[in-house]
Amino acid sequence: MKAEVTYTDAELIEAISEGTELNRAIQFIYRQHAEATSSFIRHYGGSEQDADDIFQDAVVAFIDVVKKGKFRMESNVRTFLASIAKNCWFNELKKRERAGNRNKQFEMSRPQDEPDVAEHINELERKKQLRDLVDGLGESCRKILLLFYYENMTMREILYHLPYENEQVVRNKKYKCLQQLTVLIKDNPAVARQMQEIIK
Amino acid sequence: MTPEQKNVLIDHLDESLRGKATATLEEVIGNDPEAEKEWNYLRLAVDAVKEAGLYQEVSAARTAWKAESGIAATSATAKSAARTTTAAPTNTTAKVRSLYRVSLRAAAVILIIAASTAIYKYLSVSSGSLYDRYYSGYNLNTTRGAGDTDPVMEAYNAKDWTTVRQLAATAKTRTNQTDFLAGMACLEQKQYDEAISHFEQIIAVNTHAGTDLYQDEAEYYLAISWLAHRNVNEAMPILEKIRADRHHKYHEKVEKMSFFDLRLAQYKENK
Repeated sequence: MKAEVTYTDAELIEAISEGTELNRAIQFIYRQHAEATSSFIRHYGGSEQDADDIFQDAVVAFIDVVKKGKFRMESNVRTFLASIAKNCWFNELKKRERAGNRNKQFEMSRPQDEPDVAEHINELERKKQLRDLVDGLGESCRKILLLFYYENMTMREILYHLPYENEQVVRNKKYKCLQQLTVLIKDNPAVARQMQEIIK
Repeated sequence: MTPEQKNVLIDHLDESLRGKATATLEEVIGNDPEAEKEWNYLRLAVDAVKEAGLYQEVSAARTAWKAESGIAATSATAKSAARTTTAAPTNTTAKVRSLYRVSLRAAAVILIIAASTAIYKYLSVSSGSLYDRYYSGYNLNTTRGAGDTDPVMEAYNAKDWTTVRQLAATAKTRTNQTDFLAGMACLEQKQYDEAISHFEQIIAVNTHAGTDLYQDEAEYYLAISWLAHRNVNEAMPILEKIRADRHHKYHEKVEKMSFFDLRLAQYKENK
């Protein structure tokens, strides 16, 4: 049986910030917080699949906030995750145009001291669009970019994982793939517009 | 901007430029709006990749958690059923005693079953039985398709193992593919020593040349060959390595293996 690692909130933030134990930290978040948040979503009309998807988005948003050093310790991890998940679900309900009473119930269920996560929710939407663009790349491009930029592998290490002849071939392929991704971003009006706003 | 200029920006983004080049490029980005725009798009693209990577990692944790909680739910249901059984209302001391006896009997039966299972497991698990459980042939058609006219491949597809080995032994040029197919043919004919030497040859060639042709296949089937050879000690490090490498072609297959059984076989072997 695998030994399960546990973290206090402060240790969890540290593990995510340093990135050395990210996988364990994510597994801990799931073990510790997924059930409570998911049951909330199910209570407000979500299916199990909805609850899983929403919680996954909340975890991604949380890690992102922590990595950027924007997580404020005055709200604890559980509250933050729950708040993100609730708001995501609220947005989803609105999108599905079947909010009705549930929205009102939902609004009433929001505690006064809940952290303001509106900024992170908007960010989630933008990130999803970007993710879709990465998914639009071919598998080989997606893989090479992930190995380099996410797994922080060197060209030599990538060579071990992918069937290329030498490091220069990998490097050239990576140039092409990243440029291909920027073209996809430029060609996507919604993302390009947001980009313009950021540049301004 | 030309693709070459964009590549220089990418190098700058990857922090692979040095000294003066970095300073010059910073200046270009600061003064040339087109370069600045491209620079921002590139940064956004890298952000997108990191985001996709994180999403993929969280997704894997989600799958693992679902699998774990599925197991926990099953065990919780079982416990709850057990609680219901033991918590049945009892009004008299006799009923309590009777229930106590029944519980003791049930516990004894469970203990006997558990002990028998453990003994059976201990006796039945061996490197040979693990090989029988985990060996599955290699299907050439579903992996590397080119070169259908190659006689070694033709013989392999026809499951003519003797011919595969003969052709491989007399081939003018020895390639990783020939070695691999010959290794598989040896495995099929239970010539484990020879199979091992073919797979080890592939790994040695790749290490020497810095290539990875048939590397994953060779590693996996080398481990399987060691199991067949009744040498779990040799197989374990290779299997552990494959299990730790998420990008290995046989990672999923190895993850499904029972490492408890493998360690049990290793324990028996070392005794």
